[in-house]
Amino acid sequence: MALQVYTASLLKEGLVAYLCLEDGASSWTSDIRGATAGDGDLLETLKIAAEKAERDNLIIAPYVVDVLEAENGWKATTKREQIRADGPTIALPRDASAASTTDEGRKAA
Amino acid sequence: MYQYSEQDHQLLLERVEQFRGQVQRRLKGQLSEDEFKHQRLRNGLYLQLHAYMLRVAIPYGLLSAEQMRTLAHIARKYDKGYGHFSTRQNIQYNWPKLEDVPNILDDLAAVEMHAIQTSGNCIRNTTSDPLAGVARDEVEDPRPYCELIRQWSTFHPEFNFLPRKFKIAVTGAVGDRAAVAVHDIGLKLIQGPDGENGFEVYVGGGLGRTPMIGKLIRKYLPKEDMLTYLEAILRVYNQLGRRDNLYKARIKILVHETGEEKFRKLIEAEWQQIKATGLYLREQDIERIKGFFKDPDYQELPDTDADFENLLLSDPEFGRWADKNIDQHKQSGYRIVYLSLKSVNQPPGDVTADQMDAIADLADKYSLGQIRTTHRQNLVLSDVQLKDLVPLWQELKALDLATPNYNHLTDIISCPGLDFCALATARSIPISQAITERFDNYDFINDLGDLSINISGCINACGHHHVANIGILGVNKKGEEVYQLTLGGSAREDASIGKIIGPAFGADQIVDAIGDVLGVYLENREDPEETFLTAYRRLGQAPFKEKLYG
Repeated sequence: MALQVYTASLLKEGLVAYLCLEDGASSWTSDIRGATAGDGDLLETLKIAAEKAERDNLIIAPYVVDVLEAENGWKATTKREQIRADGPTIALPRDASAASTTDEGRKAA
Repeated sequence: MYQYSEQDHQLLLERVEQFRGQVQRRLKGQLSEDEFKHQRLRNGLYLQLHAYMLRVAIPYGLLSAEQMRTLAHIARKYDKGYGHFSTRQNIQYNWPKLEDVPNILDDLAAVEMHAIQTSGNCIRNTTSDPLAGVARDEVEDPRPYCELIRQWSTFHPEFNFLPRKFKIAVTGAVGDRAAVAVHDIGLKLIQGPDGENGFEVYVGGGLGRTPMIGKLIRKYLPKEDMLTYLEAILRVYNQLGRRDNLYKARIKILVHETGEEKFRKLIEAEWQQIKATGLYLREQDIERIKGFFKDPDYQELPDTDADFENLLLSDPEFGRWADKNIDQHKQSGYRIVYLSLKSVNQPPGDVTADQMDAIADLADKYSLGQIRTTHRQNLVLSDVQLKDLVPLWQELKALDLATPNYNHLTDIISCPGLDFCALATARSIPISQAITERFDNYDFINDLGDLSINISGCINACGHHHVANIGILGVNKKGEEVYQLTLGGSAREDASIGKIIGPAFGADQIVDAIGDVLGVYLENREDPEETFLTAYRRLGQAPFKEKLYG
């Protein structure tokens, strides 16, 4: 059976986050490879930490994702979760000019 | 275009401040996510696969240059520098932060825009013909009626919690460019028996997991009765629509299960009770709104221009663009120009902030300061003088907005799919890009003629695959993305639902399968004038099936 990690969306930003436990302290990382994976008692500990983070309004809608160990860390087993972890598989539209990142920059350009 | 009254402005500002308070309380933990979710959805804010997504309403697809600049500003300041025009003529931002959304709504309110009722079980943004007011085949401009519907449906207290979302489309032309047959209600302006214009009323169309073509519930409705009749339909739906089953909650299911004749009688009975109420549109009510959509002061111009015609003959690249992306205008000396958002370089419907600003500038310079969005995820400059077509084309080309493919093979509708959407089961944008790359050949596209390919990344059908000549539906089969093909759909006046041709194809097979379908058409068409859809309707599925599956 695959191990599992806890994932959620950060309340303020809406961005994808994964739960990391280190020396009893929990934090949320955008990188699934650095998440804490587990089953049994460890998964239960992760669940308690995720629920607390939800109550503390750090994250929303936590759930578990199956992972397998890959070269650099954990990797989700489903295509949906892989895309969620890695971002869109297409290049995002982008203006050629770096100056375009602000209205002021565009006007100056 | 419609200009907000003082009351409209006040309403919007109060709504923004209300939402700002809700966001602050959510961030402080004074509102739970369950409590807040309904508030954010009522303001167009979804939580998607990677981030929040904000859907901004573009009423009946009409934008001023100033509004487009604000959309660019929002993309640049609060998002990742681009926006996505959707099949409902709206724009979506894929990466806003929750704490920024009240400020975004503030910026939108300053230019008379908002995100109200772009989500939730309410009446959504009314859509329309992107050529409204300028098309040669128009019976009457539908925009005043769209605006009346917008005013009636915004914050309508009785219809704020319908069984399910509700979409209305209005067209005023002979050719259907608003897909009225696949909306909950489709209104089509026609000339009535007494010579007065009124509406054909279609009810119960829709896509999703149970696609249906709307039923003609009333052959002629006087314009004055438009709102009372809509109110009657919504009342019947609100009372009888299925609230017990999410998948059977749309009005199309109610119409289907009730039966067309009985449903018609229910509407008529309800209507008789309310038709003389305050929603009855007096002539002055209609005329007041029509005043916002008067023809601009068109110049009296010849319908020829030497520079335009010379370049048509001397520059094949210009000729290709002019052939595909320019349409006739009702006014001599003017043309309608389609800005293709389907270049090989960008996902369908996506526009960068710089492109938006440039489009706004072009609208000011060449098209009376207005832009329209289309349900096929393109843009329109509706009032371009013939003499300006050459410089406009040159500027559009530099912006990568001049791909000559309007209503042709690579003018693909695509939902965001699994790359962005939390509901999707398969990716759609990479498939659309693979098809575009494979067939990025003007001569081939031109030879194929009028043809639509639409792609959805799940059964909810936001990519309108059911009503494409060639529809592609991405599904997840045992962990793999596979793609079903449907053939023979149409969203136009001859609307039809495409039929599944057979077992799905893998992601690495679907582009070849499209090539095979096109090959069968080219081999079997009677002549180059016979479109794909006409040929398919004549030939049936057999030759396509034979080629695809042997």
